[in-house]
Order: sequence, then C-alpha cells, then structure tokens
Amino acid sequence: MSSVELQHISKRFPTVAALSDVSFTVRDHEFFVLLGPTGAGKTTTLRIIAALLKQDEGSVLFDGEAVDGLTPADRDVAFVFQQYSLYPTMTVYDNLAFPLRSPMRKTPEPEIKERVQHAAEILRITHLLDRKTARLSGGEMQRVSIGRAIVRQPRIFLMDEPLSNLDAKLRESLRVELQHMQKTQGNTTLFVTHDQIEALTMADRIAVLDHGRIIQIGAPADIYDRPATTFVATLVGTPRINLFTAARENGTYFVANSDLHLPMPGDRAMPQQVQVGLRPEDVKITPGGRFTGVVALTEPLGVETILHIRSGQQTLLSILPGITPLRRDDPVRFDILHERLHFFDVDGKRV
Amino acid sequence: MFVRAGVRTPTHNNCDNRAACGVMTEVRTDPTIAERVAASTPEPLARRVRGLSDRAIAWAFIGPTVGLLLAINIFPLLWTVYLSFTNYRANRPNEEILWIGTRNYERVLTDPDIWAAMQATAHFVVWTIVLQTVLGFGLAWLIDRKFRGSAFWTTIILIPMMLSSAVVGNFWKFLYQPQIGLFNYVVSFFTGIDPSSFDMIGSVTLAPWAIVIVDTWMWTPYVMLICLAGLRSIPDYIYEAAEVDRASPWRQFWSITLPMALPFIMLAVLFRGIENFKMFDLVVQLTGGGPGSITELTSINLKREAFEKWRTGYSSALAVILFVAVFGLANIYVKALNRVKQR
Ligand SMILES: Nc1ncnc2c1ncn2[C@@H]1O[C@H](COP(=O)(O)OP(=O)(O)O)[C@@H](O)[C@H]1O
Ligand SMILES: [Mg+2]
Repeated sequence: MSSVELQHISKRFPTVAALSDVSFTVRDHEFFVLLGPTGAGKTTTLRIIAALLKQDEGSVLFDGEAVDGLTPADRDVAFVFQQYSLYPTMTVYDNLAFPLRSPMRKTPEPEIKERVQHAAEILRITHLLDRKTARLSGGEMQRVSIGRAIVRQPRIFLMDEPLSNLDAKLRESLRVELQHMQKTQGNTTLFVTHDQIEALTMADRIAVLDHGRIIQIGAPADIYDRPATTFVATLVGTPRINLFTAARENGTYFVANSDLHLPMPGDRAMPQQVQVGLRPEDVKITPGGRFTGVVALTEPLGVETILHIRSGQQTLLSILPGITPLRRDDPVRFDILHERLHFFDVDGKRV
Repeated sequence: MFVRAGVRTPTHNNCDNRAACGVMTEVRTDPTIAERVAASTPEPLARRVRGLSDRAIAWAFIGPTVGLLLAINIFPLLWTVYLSFTNYRANRPNEEILWIGTRNYERVLTDPDIWAAMQATAHFVVWTIVLQTVLGFGLAWLIDRKFRGSAFWTTIILIPMMLSSAVVGNFWKFLYQPQIGLFNYVVSFFTGIDPSSFDMIGSVTLAPWAIVIVDTWMWTPYVMLICLAGLRSIPDYIYEAAEVDRASPWRQFWSITLPMALPFIMLAVLFRGIENFKMFDLVVQLTGGGPGSITELTSINLKREAFEKWRTGYSSALAVILFVAVFGLANIYVKALNRVKQR
C-alpha cells in the first residue's frame, strides 16, 4: 500500500474545467472519501490517479515519487468503475480472476482460486461464480466489480461510487464490510461518493469537491461541525441544516420574516449581514424554551421524528426522539444551542 | 382523434346498450379493435367495420401480405418440389407430364458435373469467406483506431461494394488481360514474373482464384462495415478496466475484442456465405463459367440445366437439393450464432 498525493491538478475539457488546482494527500492505510455532487469532478480525479486520463497541470505522487509518466498497469491501482466495466463474455469467476492472471503478476492458479473464493464470500456472490456477467442484476454486477478490485493487493483502491446501485440493506452491510476489510488489511482507499452518509460513516478524512475545486478537507467531525461554506453545511447532514439570512439588529441577528432573534458571537468581528446555519438536532423542543413556533408538519421515522416548526414566515427543522404526540398547528416552545450556531458571510464563507 | 358526429366514441358512457347501466361499474372493458377502427373511419366504411371481431380485423390486416407470400413464394416452392418428381420440360409444355419418382434425384446425385460444380462452389465460398473475414476484420480494426482521416478512408474503402457486380465483372476482365491488364502488371512489378506469362481467366488453375479475388475485392468492405459496428459496440471503459487490470494489448484483443465482436463476425460470415452460395452474375460476367466448366458454380450449372437444356424436372430436383442443403446449414449456423450472442 502507498500514500497518494495530488499536487495542483487541473484538467479542462473542451466545454468545462473539470478540475481546478486540486491538491490533497491520501495517507498510507487511510480511508479517504471524496464527496461531491454529480459533475463535481470526482470520476475525473480517480481517472487521473489511475492514468486513464492525463492532467493538464500538476502532478500525482505515489509514496512521494512522481508517477506522471507511468501507465495504468505500472501504477498498479485497483479501480471499481462507476459503470461496473465487467467483461461481458466471461463468467463471474473469470472476471474476478482476470487481474490475477496478468503476466505481470504471475499468480499460481490455486492461489487465484483461493483469493477469488475469499472475495466472493465477502461480497456474497459465491453462487454467481459460474454465471456470465451480462445477465446479472445491477447490484450483482456492482459486487463483482468490487470483487475484481479486492482480489488484488494494489498500491491504492480507487472506488467510484461502488455502493450507489445497491438496495438499502445491501448498501448498509457492504459499507460495514468494506470498512472492516479496509481497517483489518490497512488498505489505502480513495472512495468517491455523492452520498454524505457514506462519507461520514466510512471516512477517516473527507475532501468535499464542488465544480472541480476542493472546498474543505477534514475528518468527518470537522466537516459536520465546522463546515467551511454553506455548500458543505447543506451537503452533509440529514435532515438538512436550517439556513437563514439574518441582519444585525440591536446586538442580535434577526431572521427576516420570523420571530427569531439569534445571539451574536462576541469573540470576533461579525458582518452586518450573515447566513445562519442551525442543525436540526440543535433545535431543542422544551416547555420552557425561549422561542415559540407552530408545528407545520411532522415526519415520524420511528427512531426519531422530524418536526417542521413555523416561526413567522420561516420554517425550521428539529428532531425529536421517537414518535411525538405533537400534531399540526400545535404551538411549541424551543431553545437553540447558541454555541452550535454556524455563521457564514453573504458569499457563504464561514466567519 | 377526429370523431364524426353519429359515430359513438368509445369514451362515452353508452347507457342505452349497457345492461348494468344504473350501476356504474368501475371495471371498464376496453373497446374492441373494431370499435376503435370504426371511430376513426368515415361513416360508410365504419358501418361495415364495426361488427367485426378482433380476429377478423387482424386477418384483414395481414391477409394481403399472406396472400402475396403464398402466391409468389410458397406456391412456386411447392410446385418446384412437385416438378422435381416429373419429367416435365418447360420448352415442351404440351407433352404429357409423367411422374417418375426419385429418378431425377438419383441422376443429380450421380452426375459428376454436379459434383464438380459443387466443388467449385465450395472452393469459392470457403475462400471468399476466409479472406473477406480476415481482411474485413483487419481493416475494421485499423479504422477503429480513429486516426486522422479514418472517416475519409472508410468512404474510400466502401466504394467497391457500391458498384454493380456486372460492372465489376466487366472491368476486372480488363484488369486480368495478360498484356494490357493492370493486375498482371502489378503482379509482375512485385514478383518479376512476365505479365504475359499467365492468364488469370484463361488458366484452369488460376481461374478459380480469379473469381475469389474479385469477390473479395468487392465485398471485403461489407464485412469490414459489420465488423466495425461490432468493434464500436465495445465500450471504452471495458478496455480501461483491462488496462488497470494489467492486461497487455494482445490479451485485451483475445479476451475482450474478439469475443465481443464475434457475433458480428459470424453474422457477416452468414451473409457472405448465403450470398456466395448463390453467386451468379459476377462470375458469369467475368469467366462465364470457364475455362471449360472450371468456374461453373452450382447456380450457373442450374441455370444452364433449367433454361438452356430445358431439363425442368431434373433442375427442379437440383434446386430442391440445394435449397435443403442451404436451409439446413443456415439453420445450424443461426443456432450457433444465437448461442454465441447469448453468452
Ligand atoms: N470525457 C469528457 N469530455 C468532456 N467532458 C467531460 C468528460 N468527462 C467528464 N466531463 C465533464 O467534467 C465534469 C466532471 O465530470 P466527472 O468527473 O465525471 O464528475 P462526477 O464523477 O463527480 O460526477 C462534468 O461536467 C463532465 O460533464
Ligand atoms: Mg462520476
């Protein structure tokens, strides 16, 4: 396993700048997640690391050495493709064995068999080994595609949204399985996803990518608790963070069209206009709460209930444990955890 | 949809002719095809159509086609089978037609000329298929590299295929001329052999190859086109996966390119096989079956028997034998093709 470093990578396509000055390091044995919406440039980043695409500027380093001149075969990475990329005329077994049968690796056939079996067991596709890949379901193809990567011992695993086509149950169990595998074997993994839950649950560190630019890099807790921009704040966390524009008024921030007067942090200079972010779990429903509102909607999820509270013409979300007896139009009182308020300037930058 | 007055549209609640009118049934049966046809047809015709059952309407639609098919395909086929058991001669229509059992078949199968023609056909079919497949696939593979100007070269390569075979036969006759022909000149340029020392069309040993060469020149582009479609159907990302999996270009070709293009190649072989089994015009133009009857393919032989010697019964038997053979082979082949496609 290796560490992988990207230095000032830029890539332009004729119509779009896919990556602009992207730099980050995936440390040895680290599970690194690249999180971003569709079109952010995640796949492009992986393809550049695998040498399937040449960057316009910048440099890729494996273990501190530039590998820009090396071919995909020489870089020795394992790639789980977004569109599976299975070999359609071969059986699942042969697909999994394909990378091991490369003359550059010279694995003896019994060992191939053992490794394929092992991978198949982890991914629960043992019963599919004799089938041709063309007629598998999307989820099955996805698993075979993951299997083809994990039979190998590459310098880094590159995974392009490998769980996106699985149903919820399987996704959850594979998430755990992949994490377990990565931790026990210490694989360096660069995992790409647009799903913030995957990112938060699996990552050692997360890089948030948007329009080809790195917005923030940090541990999941950093990303969640100290989002660098409103984009990051809204990207992570469900239900979504409450975000209001507010203006200074008598030493507080007043949210327009509402009854919300929020305290100003006293420890730094604050602008006239701000955007205030407030996570739903930091809106506490209590009988003696400072703020008042009216229940607009309840979304009972079993383990918790999402409460939509109207305050003036604004609505904010809150989370209650379990299922609440509250109904639409019931009045509620709530408190806001002051130290958990996020302030951003009008351009969305954290202040 | 345009609905004429007086024609009931299927969406109306026709209370007058529904038994369960008072009870609004939730389950509405779909209007029959006849009703729908009537609704969009001028009234005089609609009146006739409305009463028909779905089955009758279906027959009305496919009837003409089936009739035509029976008249110009199935009937002549059956008639040929009948004639093959008789001594009928089409140039003597007034003579009595005698049923002679399988004697025509015996004669055909013991006729050395027929076997010679079969051999000539086999030689022609096998070699044209082999050469055209190898060359066609090779060209397709090169064109698929998408080098600069590949579209231009594709167009150039396709030209022979667009010519009429009569024209091709005719000008290759000139190209094959020993003294003035370009072909002989080119061969002599590369090998140093005297151009007038050999005659592609006149020589017994060279003539079978002469027709193979011309057919290959003409139809390799066609095979190339089909193979190109096959190669283009292989998505790039499969090659990318193979590259990451450290497969050499050689291994990529054998384990990805060829297996995935195989159904297309087999299809091209089928088309060329059927086409060349019944080859007629090009060879007639080029060699006329000669010298002697060295390049007399079965189709040419059949035409001679039927329309020069007027042995109608005999040639019908030959035609039936050829039909069964081609039909059987094609069927087996298509089964194999389907198996390959379903992998
Ligand atoms: N081969 C290409 N040619 C042109 N534009 C491309 C190509 N590949 C990707 N792009 C563009 O680059 C941007 C980033 O794409 P991609 O890396 O696939 O995003 P993601 O994987 O995050 O969804 C998108 O706007 C996409 O349209
Ligand atoms: Mg992508």
